[in-house]
Amino acid sequence: MFRDGRLTQLVLDRLIWFVLLLVVIFFSLRTDNFLSGINLINILLHASVLGILTIGQAIVLLSGNFDLSQEGTISLLTVLAAWMMLPYREMTLAQAGGVGWELHPFIVIPIMLVLGALIGLINGLLITRLQMNNFIVTLAMQLILRGAAFVISMGAIMPGTPALFNWLGGGRIGPIPVSVIATLIVFLVFAYILSNTRFGRQLYAVGSNRQAAAASGFNPAKTITTAYVIGGLMAALASWMLLGRLEVSNPTLGVGMTLETVAASVIGGVALTGGTGTIWGAFSGVLLLSVINNGLNLMEVDPFWVNGVRGLIILLALLIEAQKVRIKVRTVQTTVADKKAAAS
Amino acid sequence: MEESEVRPLLEMRGISKVFPGVQALSDMTLSVMPGEIHGLVGKNGAGKSTLMAVLMGLIQPDSGTMVIDGRQFTAMTPAQALEAGVAYVPQRINLMTSLTVAENILAGQMPTDRFGFVRWDEAFKDAAERLEKLGLKLDVYQRVEGLSVAEQTLLAISKALFSNARLIILDEPTAALPRPDINRLFGFVRSLKDRGVAFIYISHHLEEVFEICDNVTVLRNGRLVGTYPINEIDTAGLIRAMVGEDVEEYQRKKTDGRVGEPVLELKNMVRRGHYEDVNLTVRKGEVVGIAGLEGCGASALAKSLFGLDRRGLGEVTIKGKPYTATNPSEALAQGLAYLPQDRYLYGLVGGRPVRENITYTVLDRLCALFGFVRLNKEREIVAQYIEKLGIVTPSQEQAAALLSGGNQQKVVFAKLAATKPDVLVLHEPTQGIDVHAKTDIYQIVSELSEDGIAILIISSEVRELLGVCDRILVMYQGKIHQEFRVGDPNTTPQNILLAIEGANTCSETAVSPNLSLIG
Repeated sequence: MFRDGRLTQLVLDRLIWFVLLLVVIFFSLRTDNFLSGINLINILLHASVLGILTIGQAIVLLSGNFDLSQEGTISLLTVLAAWMMLPYREMTLAQAGGVGWELHPFIVIPIMLVLGALIGLINGLLITRLQMNNFIVTLAMQLILRGAAFVISMGAIMPGTPALFNWLGGGRIGPIPVSVIATLIVFLVFAYILSNTRFGRQLYAVGSNRQAAAASGFNPAKTITTAYVIGGLMAALASWMLLGRLEVSNPTLGVGMTLETVAASVIGGVALTGGTGTIWGAFSGVLLLSVINNGLNLMEVDPFWVNGVRGLIILLALLIEAQKVRIKVRTVQTTVADKKAAAS
Repeated sequence: MEESEVRPLLEMRGISKVFPGVQALSDMTLSVMPGEIHGLVGKNGAGKSTLMAVLMGLIQPDSGTMVIDGRQFTAMTPAQALEAGVAYVPQRINLMTSLTVAENILAGQMPTDRFGFVRWDEAFKDAAERLEKLGLKLDVYQRVEGLSVAEQTLLAISKALFSNARLIILDEPTAALPRPDINRLFGFVRSLKDRGVAFIYISHHLEEVFEICDNVTVLRNGRLVGTYPINEIDTAGLIRAMVGEDVEEYQRKKTDGRVGEPVLELKNMVRRGHYEDVNLTVRKGEVVGIAGLEGCGASALAKSLFGLDRRGLGEVTIKGKPYTATNPSEALAQGLAYLPQDRYLYGLVGGRPVRENITYTVLDRLCALFGFVRLNKEREIVAQYIEKLGIVTPSQEQAAALLSGGNQQKVVFAKLAATKPDVLVLHEPTQGIDVHAKTDIYQIVSELSEDGIAILIISSEVRELLGVCDRILVMYQGKIHQEFRVGDPNTTPQNILLAIEGANTCSETAVSPNLSLIG
């Protein structure tokens, strides 16, 4: 009886991978070139920027909070990076150059990462020290950052970022894009961090039961702030990757990505209430969203429909998640009842 | 009530209820007349709550009948109970706190005009009139969150009456009230009694039972001990009825004075409104209990010591060194560990594995460079504690929430013991744990004390304290009221329960050396 419960749970915990498999089979039957090498790499390219961002989002979600500021960070940091690197140019036809500093990418990249971390730190401190609502703080932060991006760029795009900078987003090692490899590495690193470090333990403990975590000697405020700093860092890394791939900055970059990162996390089993879910779950969510995006494109589904379909998929994922909890509770109850019966 | 032609408002006969493994109620009988205030007393777990849950329709009894105002039921739904006129006023009042008194009174039946807009003038007037009829002076414009606890209780009772309640269950209504508020509450209850409203009054404060009740029913182990007219019984008799001659509980091997040097010392601890003049010493290898009613200050003292709450004034030392912790992390670092009363809320992270739960408190010691946990070392320590404390779990990776209550508590013990504390403060360590597991927990306490840990237990189970402790301190109204040395002829459950109620039972006995030392 106990084994049955375990089996159900085992399947439920990996449900998303089965769904992914089904979706892949579906698209490869319905379209000609879904399984072609070029298309698979396209999917992974889309998955890389979204993946990096989702790592940050998932970690903040695990702490029991939201980070809605990530896409604002992308707006600001991509604009700022181009602005600092590109030579000065008068604005023509909504195209502009940089401020004229022409900083080397090796200076600009650290600046981006530090700024990203700093934004996360501010989010974290406002939420933990001043006890402000995480949803509103990060939403306001998103608006402020995007506003700043528009002010700096005056709404213009800035094309022509240097090749050295573009290596992460656009470079290739053999046929494999650098960004795909980098993303996989970052996933590996954070999967390991979450399961094997003090921070990982604290993150799950604080996210699942803040009071018990505090009573165990943890400092929940510190853990949550750290989660936001990681969220900011990941947004900075994603900015570098995205700008490097596009080679042109645009203050509207990143619009709508917050929702995608939350969706990917939730589809992958990261609970919005905190403390439940894994980095690999989030990874599966990212893959599923990317595959669906790509497949719908290949099937030439009317782009006006695509958003609706994605919304439906997110709803479906939540539905499955909710059922999962119910089924789990039932298995546990029967298991406990069985144990009691066996004992008496 | 003496007139025999008046029939009872409530008659419960032969009520029995079995929960898995526990006979919660057996053949229980209770009868309440109109206009009667009927006390219901018994130790924790005696069956009071279950009996009331049956009366409110929350639990279906296995057998027995209830007659409410002439209508007979074998089982009720909550809606039927309300309709029959039974209302429950819990200890923690649940009103709509951000709304006004008037809105709370009229909830759901606010007067509206033909467009559905509320006619506020009429609403406030209506509410005020209703309160006046009951003789209750409350500002109907006031938001409920601005009322005192006593006023909220009065409002909750009134609200029940407006929905035609005739029998009101008051569950520990005075636990959080200062004396003048208690007087106001009792005045109101008596005025309603004169109008024929009946009350079931549940309380651990026996003096209040004597003050307000007409009759009192005592439960023990789910059975009726007896129903007594209040002037035919005294406190000692009531306590004897509550305690009874229970089976022997676990007995720890006592220290026989072979205790070591002082480990935890509290001097002149004061926190206004919670505790005052608290002086106590716990020695190495000694187990000291604190008994008291809710609100006596013991629970506030424990939380403050662990840094979950402000500590107020006074000096605390552990092994002679000043103890200055202001949060749990510092407390653990300075050698004091605390087992919280609510293990679901404060003790465990239920969704995480047993392994992680046990090492939360000692992660720093397990971490190598950059905070990487040394997993082999961790598994080794966890295996050691699983064996030492006899935790039954399929594996170290089992989610803590899936263990039985007793094993969950053992995990919390393991988590605390892993810090190798000097002092262990236990808050209701066996609450919600079945009988077998209780003995295990006592065994663990005994072993930890043999390891040299000074242990302080706060418990409402007097027999448990008698079985495990070397000394028992009774706290009453924020002060240490009396000390009992286990093994003295004076140290009986009856005497301790009397002391818990505020009586003095050590008048003749010589003051023990230890008492003079700490006094």
